[in-house]
Amino acid sequence: MTTTALNGAELAILNNRVEGIVRKMANTLLRTGRSGVLNRAKDFSCCIITADCHLLAAAESLPIHVLSGPDIMARTMAEFHPNLRRGDAFFHNSPYHGCSHAADLSILVPVIDADGRHRFTIFAKAHQADIGNSEPTTYMATARDIYNEGALLFPAVQVQRDYRDIADIIRMCELRIRVPEQWRGDYLATIGAVRIGERELLALGEEIGWDRLDQFAAQWFDYSENMMDAAIRELPAGRVMGRSTHDPFPGLPPEGVTVTAHVHARPDEGRITVDLSENIDCQPSGLNLSEACSRTAAMIGVFNSLDHRVPKNAGAFRRIEVILRRNCIAGITEHPYSCSAATTNISDRVGNAVQLAMAEFGDGFGMAEVGAVIAPSAGVVSGVDARSGNAFVNQIFLAFSAGAASPISDAWWTMIDVGNGGMCGLDGVELDEIYQPLLVESRRFVTDTEGAGRFTGAPSTEVVFGPVQGGITIAYGSDGQVNPPQGVRGGGPGGGSDQFIRRKDGTVEPLPPVAQVELREGEMIIAISTGGGGYGPPADRDAAAVARDVREGYVSTDRARTVYGVVLDGQGQVDLAATETRRAEMMA
Amino acid sequence: MRLASDTGGTFTDLVVEEDDGRITMYKSPTVPDDPVLGVLRALELAAEDRGLSLQELMARADTFIHGTTHAINAIITGNVARTALLVTKGHRDILVFREGGRVEPFNQSIPFPRPYIPRDLTYEIPERILSTGAIHRDLDEAAVIGVLQSLKEQQVEAVAVCLLWATINPAHELRVGELIAEHLPGVPYTLAHDVNPTLREFRRASSAAIDASLKPLMGHYLSGLTDRIRGEGFTGDIMLLTSSGGMVDAAEVARSPIKVINSGPSMAPISGHYYARAEAQADDVIVADTGGTTYDISLVRKGVVPITRELWIGRPLLGHLVGYPSVEVKSVGAGGGSIAHVDQGGLLRVGPQSAGAKPGPVCYRQGGTKPTVTDASVALGHIDPDFFLGGRIKLDRPAAIEAIRKQVAEPLGMSVDEASWQIIALATEGMVQAIADITVAQGIDPANAVLIGGGGAAGLNSTFIARRLGCKSLVIPETGAALSAAGAMMSPLISEYATSIFVSSDRFDREALAAAIERLRAKCEDFASRSPAASGAPRISFVAEARYEGQVWDIDVKFDPQKILGPDGSEIFRAGFDDMHEQIFAVRDPGSAVEIIGIRATLRADIRRDVEFRLHSPGALSGDHRPREIYFHGYGRLQTPVLRLEAIAPGRPGQGPAIIESAFTTIVVDPDARFHRSGTGSIVIHP
Repeated sequence: MTTTALNGAELAILNNRVEGIVRKMANTLLRTGRSGVLNRAKDFSCCIITADCHLLAAAESLPIHVLSGPDIMARTMAEFHPNLRRGDAFFHNSPYHGCSHAADLSILVPVIDADGRHRFTIFAKAHQADIGNSEPTTYMATARDIYNEGALLFPAVQVQRDYRDIADIIRMCELRIRVPEQWRGDYLATIGAVRIGERELLALGEEIGWDRLDQFAAQWFDYSENMMDAAIRELPAGRVMGRSTHDPFPGLPPEGVTVTAHVHARPDEGRITVDLSENIDCQPSGLNLSEACSRTAAMIGVFNSLDHRVPKNAGAFRRIEVILRRNCIAGITEHPYSCSAATTNISDRVGNAVQLAMAEFGDGFGMAEVGAVIAPSAGVVSGVDARSGNAFVNQIFLAFSAGAASPISDAWWTMIDVGNGGMCGLDGVELDEIYQPLLVESRRFVTDTEGAGRFTGAPSTEVVFGPVQGGITIAYGSDGQVNPPQGVRGGGPGGGSDQFIRRKDGTVEPLPPVAQVELREGEMIIAISTGGGGYGPPADRDAAAVARDVREGYVSTDRARTVYGVVLDGQGQVDLAATETRRAEMMA
Repeated sequence: MRLASDTGGTFTDLVVEEDDGRITMYKSPTVPDDPVLGVLRALELAAEDRGLSLQELMARADTFIHGTTHAINAIITGNVARTALLVTKGHRDILVFREGGRVEPFNQSIPFPRPYIPRDLTYEIPERILSTGAIHRDLDEAAVIGVLQSLKEQQVEAVAVCLLWATINPAHELRVGELIAEHLPGVPYTLAHDVNPTLREFRRASSAAIDASLKPLMGHYLSGLTDRIRGEGFTGDIMLLTSSGGMVDAAEVARSPIKVINSGPSMAPISGHYYARAEAQADDVIVADTGGTTYDISLVRKGVVPITRELWIGRPLLGHLVGYPSVEVKSVGAGGGSIAHVDQGGLLRVGPQSAGAKPGPVCYRQGGTKPTVTDASVALGHIDPDFFLGGRIKLDRPAAIEAIRKQVAEPLGMSVDEASWQIIALATEGMVQAIADITVAQGIDPANAVLIGGGGAAGLNSTFIARRLGCKSLVIPETGAALSAAGAMMSPLISEYATSIFVSSDRFDREALAAAIERLRAKCEDFASRSPAASGAPRISFVAEARYEGQVWDIDVKFDPQKILGPDGSEIFRAGFDDMHEQIFAVRDPGSAVEIIGIRATLRADIRRDVEFRLHSPGALSGDHRPREIYFHGYGRLQTPVLRLEAIAPGRPGQGPAIIESAFTTIVVDPDARFHRSGTGSIVIHP
C-alpha cells in the first residue's frame, strides 16, 4: 500500500508526537527509578528504532547512549529472535553486540501490529547502580578482561514473554547484582518506560495507519539528511587532525593514551569522514571502547561543531563515515577485552580529538576540549549504612563541570564529559545525605580554574565529603590531572583534576587517580573535578564579562590582569585606559 | 456586588457581578507605571455605566478580586529588590549548581545560566544540621550578625535564607529570621523551609530567593492598591488571584508574593472550562488568551486543569525555578502589539518585540511608528477604526496602511493587503507552534479538543489557528475579552497547606498521620474563618505525596482522612497508590513498601452561587453595521456582512465571510468557515 507524502506541517506534528512518546518514557524512568543514578542523575536514555533498525527519535537522551548502538542492538535482537511476538521484551547489555558498556542494561520491546508484523522497536537504556562486577563499581578501569570485570552479560536475552517476566532471568540477576531490591525497582521502572512507549506507539500506529507512520519515518530521515548536508556545506574543504590524551591509568601504557582523529570534510558532497584507525590496540584495561561508543563519540565531536538544529537520527548519520579498526582501543573491541568504562574515558578522548580537529578548520569552527571524569564527587559509594544496617551501592553525582567553550559562547558548565553533553542531573546535598550515610562539608566552584579565552570554559568543582556515621567505600577513576582540558585557537586550559584524603587529625594526603578508598568516620575525601578549555585569545574577551567574573569570585583580580589583560579600579570597574595598554602589551 | 479585575500588558479588564447575578464587563488601557490607576479607570467606566460616582459604586461592592502580572513582570525586567541569600557554610553555590541537566545537548550557543541571586550577594552562615535533624554545628550568631552588617553596607533590600535540612529542623532558620528582624529592621525576608517545605535545597533556595526579591515591590503595590481602593470607600474583602487557580487575601500575598507569579493567566482555564462544558464540547480544552503583548495557553485535560510544581520563569532548566504550584500556562511573546519588520535577509519577522501599551500600534496614534499585528488587522478591514472598543478609541487606518506599505509591503515587493495578511499568517503560525508544544507535553490531540479564544484580539485570527490545529470547533465566549477576570468571578476561594511527614506502609504510624491531618485541618478552618467572602460551606480535601521505598519522586494520591485512619487504612491507601502508579507509569510493585512523605490539604469555598453566567446586554442595540470590503487570502476583497454580536439569534447557522463585532471584540469568519451563536451567548465557529 502506498500513502501520499506528508506536507511540512504534518511532518512537524508527527515528529512532535513521536518525540512526545520518547519524553513520556523518559519521564517514567526518572519518576519511578530507585537508584540515584536514574532518579536523580537521569543516566538513562529512551528511543524509537524503525523495523529495519534505524534510529528514529531519541529526544533528550544522553548522546553517548544512543547515536550509534541501539540500531546494532535491535539488529542482534532480530537476528537472535527471528519470531518476535507482542508482549516480548529483551535484556541487552553486551558491548560485543552493540551496547555501550555492561552497566547500561537496556530493554528492547518489539512493537507488533495487529497483523503480527514487527513495526518498530522501543528501547530504554538505564545505567545500573551495579551490574555484578568483581568490585562495587560500574566503571572498572582496572579490569584486565571481561572475566576480571565480572559483569553479567545479556546479548539480547528474552526477559518477558506475553508481558510477564521470565522469572529465571530475574533470579539470576538477584543473585549476582548488589542490593537486589534496588535493582528490581530499577528493572520495574525500565519495563514501565518501554511498555508505556509501546502502548503509545501502538495507539499512534492504529490511529494514523502503520504505512503512514513508515512514510513519516522515511521522509523524516530524508529531511534530516538534507539538514545535515546543508550543515556540512558550511565547513571548509580539507583534512584536519586532532589529538587528546588520557592520563596514565592501570593497564594503560605508562605515558597514557593519545587518541588521534583525522577528519576529512567534503562540503561539496555534504559528507564528512572521521578516521580513528591510527590508534593503539586494545589494552588489558576496562577502558577499551565498544563499537557503539567509538562510533558515537566520533559523531558527537562532529555534531558539537555543526548547526545544532540538525536532527540526530539515521537520516543525518548517512552523511558521516566513521572508520574503525578491530582490536583497537578506540575501535571495535573484541571479546574478552573489557569495555567496562567505555562510555567515558577513551570516549571523551575521541569526542575531544574530533572537535579539536574541527577547530583547525579556522576561527568559528570546532570547540575547546571538554574536561574528563570520574572524580570521586561522581564516584560509586557502597557499604552498609550504619544508620539503618542496610547495604547500599550507588553512583553519586555531587558535583561536576568540565564544559568547554564554543566559538560563539561561554561553556555550559555542568557538562560532566563530552559523551554526556550535560544531560545528567546533580543529586544535591540533601538527597545524597539522606540516601547514603554521607556528610557533605562543602561544594563549590574553584576560583581561577576556568579555561580562559574569548569565551571561557567551566571552572573546576571541589567537594569535601565523607561518612556521617560508620564507614563507606568509594570507587573512582579520575582522568584529567596530567592532561587538563586544552583550550583552542589561543584559549587557555581548564583546571585539572585531583583528590586527597583528610585524616581525622586534619592531615591531608594525596590519593591516586584510580582507587577504591575506604573512609572511616571523621575522614573526608577532597575531590576536584576538571574544568573545561577556553576558545580564542583571553585578551579578546569582553572586559565587562571579566569584571563580572571577578566580582562574583570566579576570577581573581590578578588573573584578570595577567591572563585577560583587564585592569580593574578600586570599585571593581574596568579601567579602560589601563586595560587598553595592558592588552596592547600582551599582543606585542 | 462583586468586582473582578485583571491587569494585563495592554488592557485592564473588569467584570462586575450584581447581586441578582447580572454580569457586565469593561476594558480600560493598562497604565504601566501606575497599574492601580488602570484599575480605577476601569472601575470608573463601570460607575459611569450605572450613573454612579466611583465612591457610590465602591460602597455597593463587597468583594474586590484582583489579578496582576506585576510580580512576573518585575522578575522578567529585572526590577526586583536587591536581595541577598544566606546559606549553610560551605554551600555558597547552591543556586549556581542548580540540579544539573540540560535541554539541548548539542546546542553550544547557550552559556550556563546565571543564578537568581548573584554569587557576591550570597553569604555563608556557620551552622550545620544533619538529615536526622540533629545539630552537627551550632549556629554562630555573632557571625550572622556580622553578615547582616555587611548586608546593611551593601544596601540589600530583601533577604532569603536557605539552610540545609531546615525542613527537618527549622531552629537555625527561625533564629536567623529573628536576627534579621532585630538587626535589619524593616528589611523583608523569606525563610526557605516556610515558603517551600521540600527536600532538595536548590528548589527551596530558589523559591525563597524569588519570594524575598518580590516582597518590597509587591508589598508596596498591594498597600497602594488597598489604600486607593479603600480611599474610594470600599470596605469589603480584597482578594488576589494565585498561580494555582484560587484566590487569597491580599495580606496573605504580601507575606508570600511567590503565590501570585501566575496571577491572572491561571484563571483563563477556569472560565475556558466553564464555556467548553456549556457547549457540551470535548473533555479536552485548549484555552488561548490573546493579550496585547503575550499569548497565554493553558489546558483542561479530561475535565481537570493541570497543575505543575515545576514552574520555571523562562525556559525549563535555563530560567528560574519557582517551586510554588501553578496552573500550567505557556506564554509566548506574541499579540496584537507584536511588531512586524523585514530583516536584512529579506525575511518577514513578527515579534518578539512588542509595541506594548505604550506607544502601542501605529493606528493608536500614541507615537507608535512600527507596524503591528493590530495595524495589519485594521489595514485588512478586519477591525473597524470607528468601532474599536465600542467606538471609545478611534483608530487611524491610513497611518496603519502607510506604515505597513513602507516597512513591510515595499521591502517584500507585494501589495499592502497581501503584506498585511502575511503578518497575520506569521503571527498565527507562532501561536500554532506554541499550542502544539504544550498539547504534546500534556498528551492532548488538538484534533479532539475544543479551542477557546479568549482576549480582545482572539477573534481576529483564532479561526485560522483552529483550522491549522485541526480543531473541530472554536468557541469565543461572550466574556472572552476578559477571560481571566471572568474566571476570577467563577473561581472558588482556595487555600492550600502542606506538611512534611514520614509514614511507611511497613510501619504505619496512625498517630503521626492523625496529628498531621489535624494540623492541616485547623489551618484550613482558621483560614475559612478569616475569609468572610466564603459563602458556601468550605470543603477540605487531602492529598498524600507518596512513593515506593527507594524512589525519590512522589505522586499525588487523594485520600479520605476517615478511611486512612480507620482499621484497614494502610491497605486501602496502598491499593489506591498501586492503582495510581500503574495508571501513570504502567507498573505496580506490591513487593515494595509505600512511603508517604508529605500531605497537603486544600480548602475550597464557593463564593459565587451556581447560576448561569450571562453577560447583561443593554436593551437597545444599534443593530448590524453596514457591510465592509474586507480582504481574505485567496479571495481578495469581498463585500462582507458586519453583524452585531448581541443581535445574533442563537442557533441560526451562518456561513462566512462575516465580521462579528461587539464593544470588546471583533471576530473574523473567513469564507470557508461556518458559525452560530450558542444558547450561552458564545460564538461557535467550525473552521
